[in-house]
Amino acid sequence: MSEKYKFDTMSLHSGHVPDKETGSRAVPIYQTTSYVFKDTDEAAALYNMEVGGHLYTRISNPTIATLEQRLASLDGGVSCVACSSGMAAMHLVVTAICSSGDHIVASNKMYGANINLLQHTMTRFGIETTFVNPNNLEEIEKAIKPNTKLVFGEVIGNPGLDVMNVPEVAKICNKKNVPLAIDATFNTPYLMKPITYGANILIHSLTKWIGGHGIAIGGAIINGGNFDWGNKEKFPTISGSHFALNGISFWEEFGPSALTAKIRAEGMYNFGPSLSPNNAFYILQGIETLSLRMKKHIENTKMMLKFLKENEAVSWLRHPDLEDHPDHKIAKKILPLGSGSIIVFGIKGGRDAGKAFIENVKLSSHLANVGDAKTLLIHPGSTTHSHLSSEAMKMSGLTDDMIRLSVGLEDIEDIKIDFEKGFKAAAKISSKRS
Amino acid sequence: MYKDFKGNKVYFSTGGLNLVNDKETLCFVHGAGQNHYSFTQQIRYFVSQGYNVVAPDFPGHGFSEGNQTTSIEEDMLWLAELLAFLKIEKATFIGHSQGCLTILELAEKKPELVMGLVFVAGAMSIPVNDFLIDTSINNPEKAYDLMVTWGQDSYGSFSISDWPGHNHLAEGNAIMKMNDPSVLSTDLKSCNLYENGKQAASTININCLAVLAKFDMMTPLKKGLQMVENIKQCDYKILECGHFLPIEKPKELNALIKNYLNS
Ligand SMILES: Cc1ncc(COP(=O)(O)O)c(C=O)c1O
Repeated sequence: MSEKYKFDTMSLHSGHVPDKETGSRAVPIYQTTSYVFKDTDEAAALYNMEVGGHLYTRISNPTIATLEQRLASLDGGVSCVACSSGMAAMHLVVTAICSSGDHIVASNKMYGANINLLQHTMTRFGIETTFVNPNNLEEIEKAIKPNTKLVFGEVIGNPGLDVMNVPEVAKICNKKNVPLAIDATFNTPYLMKPITYGANILIHSLTKWIGGHGIAIGGAIINGGNFDWGNKEKFPTISGSHFALNGISFWEEFGPSALTAKIRAEGMYNFGPSLSPNNAFYILQGIETLSLRMKKHIENTKMMLKFLKENEAVSWLRHPDLEDHPDHKIAKKILPLGSGSIIVFGIKGGRDAGKAFIENVKLSSHLANVGDAKTLLIHPGSTTHSHLSSEAMKMSGLTDDMIRLSVGLEDIEDIKIDFEKGFKAAAKISSKRS
Repeated sequence: MYKDFKGNKVYFSTGGLNLVNDKETLCFVHGAGQNHYSFTQQIRYFVSQGYNVVAPDFPGHGFSEGNQTTSIEEDMLWLAELLAFLKIEKATFIGHSQGCLTILELAEKKPELVMGLVFVAGAMSIPVNDFLIDTSINNPEKAYDLMVTWGQDSYGSFSISDWPGHNHLAEGNAIMKMNDPSVLSTDLKSCNLYENGKQAASTININCLAVLAKFDMMTPLKKGLQMVENIKQCDYKILECGHFLPIEKPKELNALIKNYLNS
């Protein structure tokens, strides 16, 4: 992978130099919907995507473009399209590649909305998905059919924290000429760059660690530029003639950037899930400190793992950096700096004890997000999955005593004290029961 | 567009349109280890400006099959034959890097084909150091990395351009990886061997344009200016960028070519 500058330098500089007219050192927020054309010639060239530039913020915007260029350089992709959320990114990828009658192979251990989109929404439009165990290579290979157009998984699954063996899955996809798309939200380019392991497409929820402060929803698609879309029968809307831009073939005209060109010309143009320039600015501010934050997230996670492991109130503990995690070996290989800052654990006393714990912590916030600078918690048994019985939760890989912890950047001693209060309350419930 | 040419499947980009007899033709000639994607932001622009565009992938490059040409003279003959095959009698040639050597040679040997000449980040000779040639033989991907990082100035390396979301370094690399792995070393050797540039330049009798890069580490500006001096009528412009000028400064390049075509 070609890089002239190192990660930390690119996090601060890629995609932007001081503004020529004003000297503005920070990335300006171009809070505008549209751009005055210099002449009709330029207008036509922009509409037709003959040259770079901006015509309407639904399609592109200078502040958002800086974010896109920064993300592409950090992940080693050839090009990037930023959009309104991680889910928008997922939807854009699926609809850019697949049409009715096509098939997807996806991990069965993914974020709920990723699963729902494929299992319940895309099926209504004739796109079927076979869900597989992300680490059963044989199962993945067997599930790929002649009409399979995409293999999809998360590097670190949410919330189960299974680690996909990306290099091996990429080899299978390469052999079968199917693109491998990876949700890289939980690892961020700081911990791992899936394109260097052979993945072809990345999606990020920028809402999480990349933005890092819980203030803006955003998503991005990064194109590895390492997939051959040339098979016209298999990928007719990328390598065949396409209605957008006068019937050109995206593959013949844009080559390595064909997928992102298509997403911009069709997905952003016709669906319109654009990011706001303000949110792009917030997310850029986050990226400036991504490596600093990730280092501290990982450091705090290590200390929290030790604390939880030694705590009486904890019945089980799961994190890929722990030796007893089933994917520990893979994690060590592809995530040498650490496997992210989500920890899941069980609380003695089941669902009610979990509820008591959550209700008695103060510093740690009980909410539905991950990757904030602040420590976050959720107890699926009393929130997202409260309507399910213990058995039904088990079926979806969850248990009613499970807590998902997103380790923040606080002084970890304060978080430990906070947790002790929660554990005390949980223990009361637990002892009442026994 | 794909055609069977000299027993091989050959690709040349026309910007998605069919070639039309009565339009003026622009022929874009790519550099060492490149293919038609070097000119992504030129090809469709000039098509919509009303020109026929032919931007071939030389054999083994991009989508073209066949044995690679091994000298600039062969490159020139292959190109001349392709144009004859496409029934194009005359064209304006825009060469980048090695492509400049090819069109210099063409200007001397087949002047009847040449309506105009634009040299982009070019020179009359392109000697290549042994280290790069050896690396291109033993570890082509490492050589792509070196060329791509040398080929951008610091702005380019930070992906500073108007092309939303594009990362020049990775894209340059991906373009080179589309070629057969033997392509780069063969091209670099062709560049290294070519000695007729000065003689060819001295025979040119038409008005030409050179667009040179101030921070060019592959074909240094000084050598580009020597070429300008050796051509009877050659206007030149220097842009603040690296060797991969068509990607770093596409709008400026397009405006200069357009101006040249209209003059
Ligand atoms: C792994 C993963 N992917 C995608 C998403 C969706 O991102 P967003 O909320 O930005 O749409 C989430 C959100 O929780 C997630 O955890």
